[in-house]
Amino acid sequence: MKKLLTLSLILLISSSVLSQILPGTLDVTGMPTFIQSFDEVVKEAGLDDTTVGFESEFDANLVGFVLNPQLLLGSDLVCEANVFRYSVFIHTQNAPANFILEARTSLNSGQRFPQVSTYDNLPLQPLGPRDLTPENGGNYIPVPNDGSQAIKIFEFIGCRTDIPVQFRIKGSALVPAGNSNFQIVYTVVGSLM
Amino acid sequence: MKNKHIHSALFLFLFLWIGISSRAQETLNAFDPNTFILGGGQESTTAVVDLQRIAITDLEPDPATGFSDSTLGMEAGNPFTGTGSPTTGEFWLNFTYRSLNFQNARIFVRVNQPIPSDMTIKVQIINTANINGVYNANPNSNPINLSTSEQIIVYDFASGYTGDGEGTGYLIEYNIINPSALSLPPGFEIIFEIK
Repeated sequence: MKKLLTLSLILLISSSVLSQILPGTLDVTGMPTFIQSFDEVVKEAGLDDTTVGFESEFDANLVGFVLNPQLLLGSDLVCEANVFRYSVFIHTQNAPANFILEARTSLNSGQRFPQVSTYDNLPLQPLGPRDLTPENGGNYIPVPNDGSQAIKIFEFIGCRTDIPVQFRIKGSALVPAGNSNFQIVYTVVGSLM
Repeated sequence: MKNKHIHSALFLFLFLWIGISSRAQETLNAFDPNTFILGGGQESTTAVVDLQRIAITDLEPDPATGFSDSTLGMEAGNPFTGTGSPTTGEFWLNFTYRSLNFQNARIFVRVNQPIPSDMTIKVQIINTANINGVYNANPNSNPINLSTSEQIIVYDFASGYTGDGEGTGYLIEYNIINPSALSLPPGFEIIFEIK
């Protein structure tokens, strides 16, 4: 029995290492509207408005990534049989100059997909548990307005859905009052290790 | 012995370099589809930000602070130390301004009630400074004889902030000529307002 278990583990590890990463679908929901209230404006004349800042709801965006169905297998079965590591990067496009957007999520936020998997019961999990690890300890990370410098905000093992992303906005007094539109871009990179 | 020191230094450098590298935040060129096309993905969502207009000034040292305008409270008789002789003082005017539709603003000054006849109060911007601010100074450097009518003390300026505290913004000198040693009425104020 012990030999069989060892063999199955070796096979599992080698198959993970040798396997090719599978295509999946990134899903981002939520179109956040960041409205600054009167109370969130700087009160001390002479200071920039970035000294105050204000936050969005904790789930201004929900991010998920699941593997695509294959033949007769649904995404849940494909995700159960194929566990990869995913790094999530974020940047903005067309954000106003002198505008600071920060993003964060928390440890193990979101949902494992599928919720229960045989992978979770393996005595040795090649990539570790199907957890989510935020960068910067879950503290806010400035989001660059430059796609060539997209910054990692979290990574997770296995498919995952409904990962909440919260934002903090620090608009300089140099940013015009009123409405501005911009894009928040998420890039997910999968890896075998 | 010398080699040992060099090796130690190299190890220390390597150790520090690895330490610094490992702490750096990981970045990615998201414009390169090769980074995510296999086993990854890219999606975007639209966000809207709606910021408030800001127009605040205050005076440093800080006799009083108000939103959208600043008032310099002057207790009757308090600044006057010599009968009939002019008295002067200085204070710094700070502001933070965020425009709507790129509309420039001005700073006006007035008093909230008539100054007794035979008394004159003048204010004048005598210097500007910028410590931790972002603004283009555009002062009216002429002495302004205060009245209840508002007068421009800072000409048109765009969004910006002067930095906070004494030593930054507009240095204003006030000059009081009171040969008859009259008292100012209770509640008398000099008001600075951004419009």
